[in-house]
Amino acid sequence: MDRAKLYLGALALTALGATALLMGGAGKPKPEPIPVPAVARTGHLPGYNADRNAYFGDLHVHTKLSFDAYIFNVRGTPDEAYRFAKGEPLGHPGGYEVRLPSPLDFVAVTDHSEYIGALQHAGTPGDPLSKLPIVNGLFGSDPKVIQAAFARMIMGYAANSLPPEFRSKPIVAEAWKEIQDAAAANNDPGRFTTFVGYEYTSAPDGRNLHRNVIFKGAKVPDTPYTALESADPENLWKTMDGWRRMGVEALAIPHNSNGSDGIMFERTKRNGAAMDKAYAELRMRNEPLAEMSQIKGTSETHPSLSPNDEWANFEIMDSYIGANRKVTKFDGGYIRKALKDGILMQETKGFNPFKFGFIAATDTHTATPGAQPERYYYGKVGRMDGTPDLRGSVPPDGKKSWDKVVVDPDSTKARFQQWGSSGTAGVWAEENSRDAIYAAMRRKETFATSGPRMRVRFFAGYDFPSDLLTRADTVRQAYAHGVPMGGDLLPARGRAPAFMVWAMRDPSSGFLQRTQIVKGWVENGVAKEKVFDVACSDHLKLDTNSWRCPDNGASVDLKTCEPTRFKGDTEMRTVWRDPTFDPRQRAFYYVRVLENPSCRWSTWDAIRNGTPPAPGLQTTITERAWSSPIWYEPRT
Amino acid sequence: MAGLSRRIGAFLHGAALEPLVHFLAIGAVIFAVVMGVRGLERPTVRLEAQDIEQLAEYWASQAQRPPTRDELRGIIHDRVDEEVLAREALRLGMDRGDLIIRRRLAQKMSFASEDVGATNEPSVADLRAEFERNRARYALPGKIAFRHIYFSQDRGAGAAKAAAEAALKRARVGEAVSGDPSMLPQTYADAAPEMLQRDYGPEFAAAVAAATPGAWTGPVRSAFGWHLIYVQSKAPGAVPRLKAVESEVRANLLAERRKAANQAYLAKLRRRYKVEIAGVSP
Repeated sequence: MDRAKLYLGALALTALGATALLMGGAGKPKPEPIPVPAVARTGHLPGYNADRNAYFGDLHVHTKLSFDAYIFNVRGTPDEAYRFAKGEPLGHPGGYEVRLPSPLDFVAVTDHSEYIGALQHAGTPGDPLSKLPIVNGLFGSDPKVIQAAFARMIMGYAANSLPPEFRSKPIVAEAWKEIQDAAAANNDPGRFTTFVGYEYTSAPDGRNLHRNVIFKGAKVPDTPYTALESADPENLWKTMDGWRRMGVEALAIPHNSNGSDGIMFERTKRNGAAMDKAYAELRMRNEPLAEMSQIKGTSETHPSLSPNDEWANFEIMDSYIGANRKVTKFDGGYIRKALKDGILMQETKGFNPFKFGFIAATDTHTATPGAQPERYYYGKVGRMDGTPDLRGSVPPDGKKSWDKVVVDPDSTKARFQQWGSSGTAGVWAEENSRDAIYAAMRRKETFATSGPRMRVRFFAGYDFPSDLLTRADTVRQAYAHGVPMGGDLLPARGRAPAFMVWAMRDPSSGFLQRTQIVKGWVENGVAKEKVFDVACSDHLKLDTNSWRCPDNGASVDLKTCEPTRFKGDTEMRTVWRDPTFDPRQRAFYYVRVLENPSCRWSTWDAIRNGTPPAPGLQTTITERAWSSPIWYEPRT
Repeated sequence: MAGLSRRIGAFLHGAALEPLVHFLAIGAVIFAVVMGVRGLERPTVRLEAQDIEQLAEYWASQAQRPPTRDELRGIIHDRVDEEVLAREALRLGMDRGDLIIRRRLAQKMSFASEDVGATNEPSVADLRAEFERNRARYALPGKIAFRHIYFSQDRGAGAAKAAAEAALKRARVGEAVSGDPSMLPQTYADAAPEMLQRDYGPEFAAAVAAATPGAWTGPVRSAFGWHLIYVQSKAPGAVPRLKAVESEVRANLLAERRKAANQAYLAKLRRRYKVEIAGVSP
């Protein structure tokens, strides 16, 4: 039964791959050898666009070099991860082959730096690591002994307490070199960009403070700075400052603040001391971006933090990372609240430690970068969640009904049920190169999506031409007369700014239902927030009292996942003025674009299995994109 | 009864006089003696001078200095211990059913078979053949310079197409026409087909690829609406000369040969075995 399902999934993926192959045949070359035409020497790469193109990527990818991924039976290498991102298929530990429907533009392999590359040594007979007592029994014949050895290793890994042999210099150097070599070999300016990177895996008391460190170029430190050196991210940033002085440029991206139990964006330093201007500057110098969404949930906001946001309850994961333990504190774990805290601190203390742009990723542990379409979700952790049964989307053991089936809320399966098929990074850059994409991340001209490759542009300015939206050079004018996402808008003698919002659907995903602006501001010493719909689909009229669009009537047939036809827009654009704008109030604005509802991965799994969707799970989701904010800075 | 025993006695007496019986008896005695002596002889653990040299070198590479005489004695002692333990384990059949040993042996065998099947340096003709066989793989994508006018689907189902058709008539007689703004560029200097397919969908990419340069065509459907297309120029996908991609061709050819040789070797091995899985022969 189970095998049949697997074959079905594999078949579907193969069919998808075959379709992609067939479609790719459009540009077949002529049979005669022709000399390569000389490329005009403009100094620009092919596809260069002064108005900037949207490039899509994934800066959060694990391969077999990550300790946990190796345990999940993942054997994909950094090189294979890059080749997968370019369109090649790769084997999944579940025994089937997977493939990205459409290649990515840029990727960083970011393996856990703690005990990097060690497990493949521990698993190689004859290797000194395989002889350590903690490994003893891992390769025996008694399943109970194997399991005990396993548990011992995982606990040692989580507590960063494995023997020093697991972090010996030669092992780290070997893995670090493999990562650099793979990035160098696969970087192809103009077509595909790679970044050298790694994940700094700090989790004091299991509370997630993980960061991905992304290097601008090929110049990197001899070894990564890991959480084994210090679990306090402040020490990571200081180390990064040191690298910078030596010409090594890098930035760090915090992720899964949702699993930090309130400490990722706590309002003190990690050691409890008060923050100050130097700390805020150190943090912002090294962390210009935050990860908004990935498979382990979305960290924009929590319903309890944004009770007036009807779309706040989106792919919420409320447990610790890698542990069956519930989060108790949402304040400090979500991005919107942190942005509000940031502008409030700027107002009252003169510094802002939380002034970051947005990005998204997958955090795949199967060496397969790129968000999976909901329809073909194959999980994140290899053999742990590689089948619908394991991830709790179908009744267990081939049962055909959920009657009397109870999924223990404290089980791994319950956690997998909460995961989403998410995460695409978008950047606006002139061309597809390390320099251009890194520069975009530095200036926060980035956006995040829950998976689909939607595009979103966002500008604020005082002097946009009145025909901005209908001109042929809309974007050039917007740059000339405004600031793009990620930027600061300065005051203009009390005038109110205009916001240009432009969103475009992913041609292979759903249609757009509405475009919103999320505003946060400081009023009488209190940080507040409000969600404004600013553009409605289907020519519907925006109610400017409630700032909500009427429902466009789009829904989904849960028997087939077929969406209502002829609902939603392909593009949405508007110039919006904030009716509540007060030139004295510090504020931030970011765009949120919503697709029509579509089936969640768990519903697709259930349909293929011929069983009802799992109880308690949302059957449909509203895919979305978020622009980085623009900050209005009345006084700097 | 008595008659029978007498007859046997007579037979034995006669047999004892036969030379063949003598021969067999003497053979049996010699065999027994040889076997007895063999049983007393101990198997030999033999370390040659070069083995010891190797052990010492290995030790030195770890310690960053050569071993002293005492240390060398210790190394040799340990090595002999290891050998004796291993042989005893083998004698007791401890290698059977051991996952690590099985894996290690399989690994050794697959490495060995890869070495044996190591492919020779490909000839120029081989490279040429591989290159011709997989031309598409080495091709540089075609580049198309074009512009397009876009009529958004958001105008309504039939309205966008009708507007595009009307605009096409005017464009063909040289009138300036405009459509809806798009977030995607309206002109492309060097669009690659796969990029168009990703951003607009297959229908649009195919239409651009098929369009004759120097004339307006359309309306063409995309994921966003309808388009009129004017292709300025086309640089077809070019296959570089073999010289320019020789190292890539060589690497691919060797990788393919190695893969084929490995698969063939495994297939050959499989034919020597009957595989049963859960009592069923697949």
